[in-house]
Amino acid sequence: MTDAEDVSHKPKRRGSALAVDLRRARAAQRRAERAAGAAAALPSRAEPSPTIVCDDRDPIDCVREWFASEGWEPFEFQEEVWRAYLAGESGLIHAATGTGKTYAAWIGPVLEWMQDYPAAQRSSRAARSLGHAPPLRVLWVTPLRALAADTEAALRAPIQDLGLPWTVESRTGDTAPRVRARQSRRLPTALITTPESLSLLLTWADTPSLFENLDLVVVDEWHELMSSKRGVQTELALARLRRWRPNLRTWGLSATLGNLETARDTLLGMTAQGFERAGRIIRGLVPKALTVDSLIPETMERFPWSGQIGLRLLPEVIAAIEEGRTSLVFTNTRATAELWFQALLSARPDWAGVIALHHGSLDRDTREWVEDGIRDGRLRCVVCTSTLDLGVDFTPVDRVLQVGSPKAVGRLIQRAGRSGHQPGAVSRLTCVPTNALELVDVAAARDALGRSAIESRPPVERPLDLLAQHAVTVAVGGGFRPAELRDEVRTTRAYRDLSDGEWNWVMDFITRGGSALGAYPEYNKVVERDGLYVARDRMVAMRHRMSIGTIVSEAAMKVRFVRGRTIGTVEENFIARLRSGDVFTFAGRTLKFVRVRDMTAWVRSSNETTSVVPHWTGARLALSPELAAAVRGKLDQARQGVFEGPEMEAVRPILELQARWSTVPAADELLIERVQTREGHHLFFYPIEGRLVHEGLAALFAYRLAQLGPITFTLAANDYGFELLSPEGVRLEEALEDGLVSPDHLLHDIPASLNAAELARRQFREIARVAGLIFQGYPGNNKSVKQVQASSGLLYDVFARYDPENLLLFQAHREVLEKQLERSRLGRTLERLAAGRITIKAVERPTPLAFALLVDRAREQVSSERFLDRVRRLVAPLERAAGNGNARIARGGGRGFR
Amino acid sequence: MTDLMLRIAGEEVYLLAERALWWPNASTLVVADLHWGKASTFRAVGIPIPIGTTSDDLARLDSALTRTGARRMVVLGDLFHAKAGRVASHTLAELRRWRSLAAPVEILLVRGNHDRHSGDPPSDLRINCVNAPAFVPPFVFRHEPADRGDGYGLAGHVHPGITLMGRGLQRETLPCFVIGPLGALIPAFGSFTGLGLVEPGPGDRAFVVVEGEVLEVSLPVDLGPNAYPAELHEVSHAESRGSGLDHGVEH
Repeated sequence: MTDAEDVSHKPKRRGSALAVDLRRARAAQRRAERAAGAAAALPSRAEPSPTIVCDDRDPIDCVREWFASEGWEPFEFQEEVWRAYLAGESGLIHAATGTGKTYAAWIGPVLEWMQDYPAAQRSSRAARSLGHAPPLRVLWVTPLRALAADTEAALRAPIQDLGLPWTVESRTGDTAPRVRARQSRRLPTALITTPESLSLLLTWADTPSLFENLDLVVVDEWHELMSSKRGVQTELALARLRRWRPNLRTWGLSATLGNLETARDTLLGMTAQGFERAGRIIRGLVPKALTVDSLIPETMERFPWSGQIGLRLLPEVIAAIEEGRTSLVFTNTRATAELWFQALLSARPDWAGVIALHHGSLDRDTREWVEDGIRDGRLRCVVCTSTLDLGVDFTPVDRVLQVGSPKAVGRLIQRAGRSGHQPGAVSRLTCVPTNALELVDVAAARDALGRSAIESRPPVERPLDLLAQHAVTVAVGGGFRPAELRDEVRTTRAYRDLSDGEWNWVMDFITRGGSALGAYPEYNKVVERDGLYVARDRMVAMRHRMSIGTIVSEAAMKVRFVRGRTIGTVEENFIARLRSGDVFTFAGRTLKFVRVRDMTAWVRSSNETTSVVPHWTGARLALSPELAAAVRGKLDQARQGVFEGPEMEAVRPILELQARWSTVPAADELLIERVQTREGHHLFFYPIEGRLVHEGLAALFAYRLAQLGPITFTLAANDYGFELLSPEGVRLEEALEDGLVSPDHLLHDIPASLNAAELARRQFREIARVAGLIFQGYPGNNKSVKQVQASSGLLYDVFARYDPENLLLFQAHREVLEKQLERSRLGRTLERLAAGRITIKAVERPTPLAFALLVDRAREQVSSERFLDRVRRLVAPLERAAGNGNARIARGGGRGFR
Repeated sequence: MTDLMLRIAGEEVYLLAERALWWPNASTLVVADLHWGKASTFRAVGIPIPIGTTSDDLARLDSALTRTGARRMVVLGDLFHAKAGRVASHTLAELRRWRSLAAPVEILLVRGNHDRHSGDPPSDLRINCVNAPAFVPPFVFRHEPADRGDGYGLAGHVHPGITLMGRGLQRETLPCFVIGPLGALIPAFGSFTGLGLVEPGPGDRAFVVVEGEVLEVSLPVDLGPNAYPAELHEVSHAESRGSGLDHGVEH
């Protein structure tokens, strides 16, 4: 493991961040070409002449000259990767986005080819025009189709300037059928593709011959892929490629993670003997100086609740945007992004046209327009979600704001890193809290950042649904012998421990449905012919190609103008609640709903004002373990009277009140508050471990408490703790002695405590899609597949009843435990709590920490009362008890952020 | 099995826990949406669905026929799921065996949208087929619910289901009968069929079928923030959406 630490302290380059300007220029050029091409009937693609004449010089000198011609000098870590590549090594390069990782991975094979083919043989233009560009040598896997075009331009630039006869093309879901057909006869020298398109390539029988000269696979944004089933899909494809090309080199590009070695091992896979393959970990540029600060409201309520501050900081946010040239305002949800965009626009109507909105539900053209607008500095501000976390470099961005807690250190770094690409600039991120306690998160994140405590991403282990899909993929692509495929699959890290029983079950599943005894009549997908397992017929092959992949499409409905274009997609759930004539905000516009037809919501523009915003049921973010630990540290300091920095200073009155009424928990202390109100007996626990863990703990504790005697609980959880509310009092001390917080018997208690069956039924949605139980349909042809569509819930019920031993059901349960309930993290939390001390405080009324939980529970309840009124009703008596009589504590100092 | 007696259109009827309606005066059992052969249609295109759904359905049908001693059975459409020719021999053999052994009951199929595509059942199953509506006063049998003022309508097609809220945030969706002043909806009989959420209107009564019992639901049911309005059934195609709504139905 070589980390190139020493080099990056003295960046030598002259120009702006490495790949950035270049990509921008090339992308613009490409777009111009495309526009010109569309205009001309026969676009004659002007072949740019090489700008670097290499002749017989050492290729590395030519490459350095090319870097110089762009105004750069290669970074030491880039040259290190080139040397490692030329020495036949594989590995992982980690650094923030936009720091030259692309050329670190790309130049190696270029140098190698130039060494192998001296200048005389490199007749570029003629060779290329005759279709004699070298066959596929480099495969570049990217998680986002949107990144493919930019990557293509970046890879092509040095090729063209050095006059190499290479071709660089993309193949994704967006690629024209004509191009795809040409590619299936001959692939370009370098191919940029997605995991799904790569799997699709494996379904063509002549693919092995197309991959005969493959030397290198680069997997971009590996940190993003590796903890999902798409990552496993990539692992399986890599295992297949390595079988065809045993000396294949693999390089991953990743953000910095807490588990880099696992990331590398997962990418490189295992040897046939079951050992991890050797590989390098090379660190790219150390992050530039990174500043994190916050906007702090002038007045602070002492009883924090989520959403409390709302849009109150809008003037400060506007001031911050005015300060910068181009700003990104990140939000944690799409709905928040819509709200903030609307708010900005109504406060600054003069910004119409120079501020924009970007999130995953918007139409792709719109998103591309916004991305271009950021690149060429046309836009002053973009309100966005995680869709702009990845990829695309935006040089003009000099200000990043984050609405709400960043929830994870890695996310904070990634988002902050979107700014400060100008020479000499620093990356700066300004947090805009939505409630007072989020200021603690920010202070904690700054601490964690100082310690480089960055989150790990756990890879997915042994998903059998995906293995079934892959086996059919290989069957379609020419067939397999079971023992061989099993051994090949075991060379991936995900399936290194695949048992023979599991493998045999997968084989049964794709050939007979059930086991040998319970075979499903009329069913087979894969059949044996002379020992080779192949697809039953062309129909099976065709259907399979249409359903490759692991992404569960949200039940989204297109939103389209009655006369005009598509605006984007909104969850059907939301549309279903609209009546004709209802007005809502989407894509930054006010729209009037007309009707639903052909799976499309038809709308018109509207001038009415509304606050109705679609919600999307994405997973709500929870505090990461690293950030949660840092928050506990911050609270521990506060307990000792240490309030460092403006954020902690701002929440000081809240925490002091908390200390007065109860206590601020120490880092090794589990605080339990018990309080009786008209609602009943409340128990508040504060493990400070993130919402997901708290939901699991709440259910677990409720279950364990109920073992002492019949009792009913209402549960609520947030990032700081959870509440158990019951009509009767609880024998807490007795329960604690009986092991309420014990990590023992978890495997039994967790499923018993939750409606595990219902959770598994929901989890089955993804599994059913991946395992091929749900046919997604042919593009543009909804009707013909209707007769073979069933909801995943119905499928789950049928399997649970008629084939209860089906391993996909077990997988659903396992995924619920591991993914949704974070069982391992739950176990670690219990170990931590059991090792620490427990403090029980009987309090007279809910404390500031408890209040946030009370509000969250109120939010879940159905009531005709306005939510804000209910919160006011809750807070009034508490404020009276806290003294001052005044609902707010005025803060000194001028307005604006500090 | 606990059934429930009530009087509609002046006639005494029973809502049976088998998901059927029993009309003793005419010795008629009314069922809807059997979707025979649905599982085998899936299997034939390479989607593995376990066997057992058809046998279960036939056993439940036998139970209803035996308990009532019905002489006549009316199927309110969607008897077969897909083209008869595609219904596998395995399933068809099972149906023939059932027809030869089961009670000598006269079967009338009021064709539904699926029957139009799959064609009439093979003649040896001895099933008479008519287009909707079929008038047997005071009732009108049809597949898709419609209010034409031509009698008290009994219909299927929507696979009616209703979501009940439990303690905490638990919710469960159950098949149901909806009995209105002008017509009634019968739950889907087939066990491999989804549910379409309905929102009973004023004057409607709803009865859920749960664990061998028919229970009246007090209306209006608070469907919670994520429920589907009834009129959107036309768009709720099979794969369904998000949490708590996994009851996609195909009519």
